[in-house]
Amino acid sequence: MSGYVFLFELDAVITRQEMLPAISRKLGIYEQMCSLTERTVQGELPYKQSFLQKAELLKKVPLSLLRRLSGGLPLNEKLAEFIRIHRHRCHIVTVLPDVWIRELIEKTGMEDRIFCSRASAEHDYIQNIVSILDQNTVMKQMNLPCVAVGAGNYDAQIIQAAEIGIGYGGVRSISPAVLASASHAVYQEEKLVEFLERLL
Amino acid sequence: MAVSRTVIISCAGMGNRLGLGTTKALLEIDGKPLIIRHLEMLEHERDIRVVVGYQAEAVIETARKYRDDILFVFNHQYRETGTGASVALAAKYAGEFILSLDGDLLVHPEDLEQVLACDHEFVSGGEPVTDDPWLLQTYQEEGTEFVSSFSRTMGTYEWNGITQMKSRKMQNGTGHVFQLIEPYLPVPFLELRTREIDTVNDYERALAWVKNDFNGVGK
Repeated sequence: MSGYVFLFELDAVITRQEMLPAISRKLGIYEQMCSLTERTVQGELPYKQSFLQKAELLKKVPLSLLRRLSGGLPLNEKLAEFIRIHRHRCHIVTVLPDVWIRELIEKTGMEDRIFCSRASAEHDYIQNIVSILDQNTVMKQMNLPCVAVGAGNYDAQIIQAAEIGIGYGGVRSISPAVLASASHAVYQEEKLVEFLERLL
Repeated sequence: MAVSRTVIISCAGMGNRLGLGTTKALLEIDGKPLIIRHLEMLEHERDIRVVVGYQAEAVIETARKYRDDILFVFNHQYRETGTGASVALAAKYAGEFILSLDGDLLVHPEDLEQVLACDHEFVSGGEPVTDDPWLLQTYQEEGTEFVSSFSRTMGTYEWNGITQMKSRKMQNGTGHVFQLIEPYLPVPFLELRTREIDTVNDYERALAWVKNDFNGVGK
């Protein structure tokens, strides 16, 4: 046995759709959401600011609705199964705040093994983002060598720090920052799971 | 092949000697990039790793047009390391055997079938063709030819970079692929018809070889 700990981004790695584009389409705010993403991709808006502005957009949406929409996102089932079987060696790492993704996380069975951002809520509405996930803090808590799987710019730091950093491009395109720091890239869920099983 | 095998295609290098400003895997031979020629010949292999470095995104994009189940392995140190480093990176967590080939090599299609049918370790070579070859010294034993050493000066065949070895033996090194193999010699020999593309002249010879249905020309 290798002893690796496995860290997975939730969005567009475990989920078969990117969460914010998918739910903003249903909420009629897709254009605004995309404009923020585009400005981040162009380097005009730092990721954290972009995330906070996206959260601001979603403040007007009842949390119960957000959670229902995010909870309805389909999972990459083969990967989700790998995580369920090896849950004692896996963690989910995501910048998405806890209050948005509760149902989604329940579907993975990883409620007690998640690192995410935190938000305060009142009367079914988000009040404030209390803390944004800090990837350095997560890596400092890992006592064993890590395998990290991600896709977006925000995942690059953790992929760089991991012994094995895998860019997964089966849902969205792998960001240039991830390609520049990953040790591997894979574009098919079956292939990803096959490689993860070799890393056990 | 009953044993598990991972095919490694090394495409990380810069192709400086060719001077075309493109990594050699993307070089078109008779209208088709070399990487696609490789993938076509490996159509029935299910475990393929492509090592990328220089122009990684372009290599990935091109390879994915042909098949989407490739595991790409990054050699970010492609400027400072040799193909041995690429193979060593890709040989980790692989099948029992690795079959390693360079992205800048053309193999006669009939000979590649022979390679894919092989279920044991081998080092391959052919008639010396290039100006500055690494040669294979070989000997016969009970009807089998074995490679005993790699040499600049002595040997019957030119080493072409194609080898099948146990993956656990190939996981450390930063230089040439043959340096990974050397500690495990002797290894059975396999003769193959190939064309390596290092220079513009090599490229023209390889082009003529393909256009002539892999017959005769280009020595």
